[in-house]
Amino acid sequence: MPQSISPEDLMRFIDGELPPSEHARVEAALASDTELNREVAIYRGMKGDFQELSFDPGTVSRSVWDTVNVTLTRPVGWFLVIVGVAIWTGYGAYLFTFSTIDPFEKLATGGVVIGILILLASIIWERYREWLTDPYRDVYR
Amino acid sequence: MQPELERELIRKCRAGDTRFYEPLVRAYEPAGLRLAVAMMGNTEDARDALQDAFVKAHEALHRFDLRKPFGPWFFQILRNQCRDKLRSRRARFKMEALDERLELRPDDLERGPERIRQRSAARELLWQALEHIGNEHREILVLKELQGFRYAEIAQILEIPEGTVASRLYHARHALKQALVGMGAEYP
Repeated sequence: MPQSISPEDLMRFIDGELPPSEHARVEAALASDTELNREVAIYRGMKGDFQELSFDPGTVSRSVWDTVNVTLTRPVGWFLVIVGVAIWTGYGAYLFTFSTIDPFEKLATGGVVIGILILLASIIWERYREWLTDPYRDVYR
Repeated sequence: MQPELERELIRKCRAGDTRFYEPLVRAYEPAGLRLAVAMMGNTEDARDALQDAFVKAHEALHRFDLRKPFGPWFFQILRNQCRDKLRSRRARFKMEALDERLELRPDDLERGPERIRQRSAARELLWQALEHIGNEHREILVLKELQGFRYAEIAQILEIPEGTVASRLYHARHALKQALVGMGAEYP
């Protein structure tokens, strides 16, 4: 490539990004340099080949919107469920604590509830630890 | 999409109404999928990247500068998403999404089946050559040749100075040429 035409200018010329004032300089170089001419022809040929690439229209027609929408709205649903459950649980615990039920019954019921919660938490924790060390966790297809 | 309509949709999305995100998704989906397929090499991974990019863009809408167009900003997110997926062990560039049905052009009809066969072969070769060049080369070629972005837009998407775009394109085209020649392509 001649010194006067840099690779960057050549790219700008091919892509129509070269200022009009610079065009004449490249055109003159092209007129006198067959190697430069050949290079431009190659890159233009490659540009043309890119126009041949097309993708399966069936792929494009199936929109990703449904999946995106579900992903965007699901956290709102989870948030509302969690907040609702927390409020009901708190209210239930308040009523239970300050009710006039026999303390012995309170103690037994509290033990059952706390025991279930501990079991549930331990199962979740165990599953989480298994997931962390699972070598196939990324294999989902 | 009209810039004013685009801005209005984004404002409504920011206000919390997800329904107004749908026109944006549908407007940028075809171009986004083309970019993702060309970067990932296959439709399945491309669709995953595209979905994740739309979700991330929605989450980041409050940071979006309303004076600028949505397209380059979104393609920047999509490009990063594709790169992250390529870096992870879940996906790698693997080709399978090329449409086998060629659109006929007037000169194809004149020149007959031989012309169609040549076009198909050239296309196949180019698609395979894209696998042999680096991700960085591939992404800039896709943005320029398949998406038709201007240098300024490419600079914004790739987060590089505008002056660097021409240089990167030169190296990418040179790498692609080498790959094509290595695969037996004939150029003048």
